[in-house]
Amino acid sequence: MTDATLRVEFAAQPAAIRVRGYWGTVGRRLRYDYVTLFFLAVILMIVFAAIAAPLIAPFDPNKTSMAFRLKPIGFRDFRLGTDELGRDMLSRLIWGGRMSLLMGLVPVVVATAIGGTLGVIAGFVGGKLNMLIMRTMDIFYAFPSVLLAIAISGMMGGGMYNGLIALSMVFIPPLCRIAETATTQVRHLDFVEAARASGASSGSIILHHVVGNVLAPVLIYASSLISVSVLLSAGLSFLGLGVEPPTPDWGLMLSTLRQAIYVQPLVCALPGAAIFITSLSFNLVSDGLRHAMDVRI
Amino acid sequence: MTAEFVAAAVVLAASTVALPAKAETVLRVAMTAGDIPDWTGQPDQGFEGYRFVGWSLYDALINWDLSRSDVEAGLTPGLAVKWGIDPANNKRWVFELRKDVKFHDDCKLDADLVVWNIQRLIDDKTPGFNPVQYSRHRSRSINVERAEKIDDGKVAIYTKTPDSFLPYNVSVWYMISKCAMEKANFDNALYAKAPAGTGPYKFDKVVPRERLELTKNADYWNPKRVPKHDRLVLIPMPEATTRAAALLAGQVDFIEAPSPDTIPRLKSSGMRVITLPYPHNWHYQLNFVEPPFNDVRVRRAANHALNRAEMVEMLGGIAQEGYATYPPNAKLYGNPVKYEYDPAKATALLKEAGCHPCAITFAISTSGSGQMQPLPMNELVKAQLEAVGFKVKLDVMDWNTLLDVSFKGREKYPQYNGINISRATQDPPNGLLRFVMKQQWSPNGGNWGWYENQEIEDIVAEAMRTFDDEIRDILMTKVHEIASREAIMLFVTHDLNPRALSPRVHGFVQAQSWFQDLTPITIVEGGK
Repeated sequence: MTDATLRVEFAAQPAAIRVRGYWGTVGRRLRYDYVTLFFLAVILMIVFAAIAAPLIAPFDPNKTSMAFRLKPIGFRDFRLGTDELGRDMLSRLIWGGRMSLLMGLVPVVVATAIGGTLGVIAGFVGGKLNMLIMRTMDIFYAFPSVLLAIAISGMMGGGMYNGLIALSMVFIPPLCRIAETATTQVRHLDFVEAARASGASSGSIILHHVVGNVLAPVLIYASSLISVSVLLSAGLSFLGLGVEPPTPDWGLMLSTLRQAIYVQPLVCALPGAAIFITSLSFNLVSDGLRHAMDVRI
Repeated sequence: MTAEFVAAAVVLAASTVALPAKAETVLRVAMTAGDIPDWTGQPDQGFEGYRFVGWSLYDALINWDLSRSDVEAGLTPGLAVKWGIDPANNKRWVFELRKDVKFHDDCKLDADLVVWNIQRLIDDKTPGFNPVQYSRHRSRSINVERAEKIDDGKVAIYTKTPDSFLPYNVSVWYMISKCAMEKANFDNALYAKAPAGTGPYKFDKVVPRERLELTKNADYWNPKRVPKHDRLVLIPMPEATTRAAALLAGQVDFIEAPSPDTIPRLKSSGMRVITLPYPHNWHYQLNFVEPPFNDVRVRRAANHALNRAEMVEMLGGIAQEGYATYPPNAKLYGNPVKYEYDPAKATALLKEAGCHPCAITFAISTSGSGQMQPLPMNELVKAQLEAVGFKVKLDVMDWNTLLDVSFKGREKYPQYNGINISRATQDPPNGLLRFVMKQQWSPNGGNWGWYENQEIEDIVAEAMRTFDDEIRDILMTKVHEIASREAIMLFVTHDLNPRALSPRVHGFVQAQSWFQDLTPITIVEGGK
């Protein structure tokens, strides 16, 4: 066998034997998941519209005009019609996206940070501390999430900040539970024991060995909560416990526009459609992520 | 035996044919209230509780004549046939009681029972004293010192100061059966299971948070007001679109305050929509202690900032522009300042007062008795105020929470510069005095923001000593004009009181009053 032959045989080794890393596998799965990609694009569009609202909204979202109240879709420059105070619906929907995304994302991020940390500590330390943290969480579990959000908001009063706090409190217990369960599963595995035997501190073990293993299930679950948060915040605004009027907010818009449902039913349905599309998009993207990140597949 | 049986069967069949079972006629009313109003005496849920529950189950010594729609409703004899001030003592009113009136539980109306009913709302040592109802009724009872029996048919009520307005306050002081309370061992919760008044309807049953069912009192002492239907069902339904949908779906027959945008749809479906001017004021009561509304220039600026024509347009024309506490058709209206829409003047006044931008916070509700369409209306007010230099924060809350803010007053809630609670203005104590008198400072009364004006105090004191109605009306008109000049409120609109009735409902006469009489209503199946 000549050198040339050897070179040819070496070069002909199948590429398949290259081992793809975890994130590479996730990326590849996502690349071929067209449903997830489509709804990810929808979310990106909503995010872009929300960020660029001052530039792309055709009118001031709070500018009222009784002469133009409750106009239909396509009326003059009001492409999506006007609301009960004659405000441009398209502009309010674009600006409303900001509030919905804020109310959808911030409580989940806050709850992930707090609930995840508490869950990891409870799972890693165990014993009485675990009992204290998890039983406290169980108290919150006793109430349905909608009821709990309404109760907390009702107690603290309406407004955006109180709404954010209420929703964060609603999401902390389930995220804590997920993190605690995942931590309990890994804390006695060999690599953790090995790290402990090597003299690593608890903090260091949590940071370098536990969090990495807990992060995936927590993030997957957290992503599924974004759509719930969007819906709950819309519900709070609908009940008057959310943002302060006349802030453009889809839930609040839906609440006030329902009075005009017999006059302009399509215009009245628009905020509901926006809530539905956003919530559906986050839900399906979360599903796609869960599928892509599942190590058992 | 067989023949007898056949004969009996024939008679039974014949009687069945001859006397078909008469279906019970039921009037189902959707109220704007968030819950069933308290049915044990003095109602809650705002004045709507009085409108539907108070006047149905109970009577006062003096009632309201709600039989006409062409004049402002006035007082009429109720459980008292006559009343008047004692010529020898201008702090003693004498009431002559109606004879042979019985409560729904057969308890007899007499002087002892009336005295107990007065005392139970002013004296915590009286058996059956109800602190909640005492608090609810305080703005009406604040000047009442005591009641005493003169004889079986006469009662005297003593006031702390001469009070020519007492008959108005007595007109919402409901008489409940002392026998029923004794049977309940003066426990209000037990009494609530079997309440008894003298009103045209009797209590039948309640489904908490869902419905209160009353039945016709065929033995009502006033034959003209014996209900022309068998059953009255009162359903709390705070959301306007839900009420309209319930009427369209045939779940109710009578709805309060349909939203303006549903009215064309209701009319096109054959529903009858009634509107009529009535004593109502949709406004903001202001905080006169904390800045900025302690400065009259800021109050005037806010009033000049409002484009009320635009508000009426937004409401589909079912309101009047409001420039004062009373609507223009009220007899005490007089010649108040008309705060025309003048944004430039409003801005100038704010700058002159050194409050530009001028940050204010209003407490508002999402619904409630007489609140009309609170969210869009408040949003429009905010937009108009901000256009002249105010910076408005709207703190939205549930109706009952807002009522709590109202009862407890500005001292408890200093963070609010104003509260948006609409009020009935059918009588001077309710429509005007409670907003301007120091005696009515919250939490004792309805002067939420602690307004004080010695000129008004002097005139009111004179009016209270004046038992000639005409002279007193002149004095009260003057108070109304001063209150307007001082911009004691942010005046917005007066409601035209829309309600929608199913084609089954006949005979309803809409009175020019916050209260209404449902007894003349007949229910005609398939009626047009």
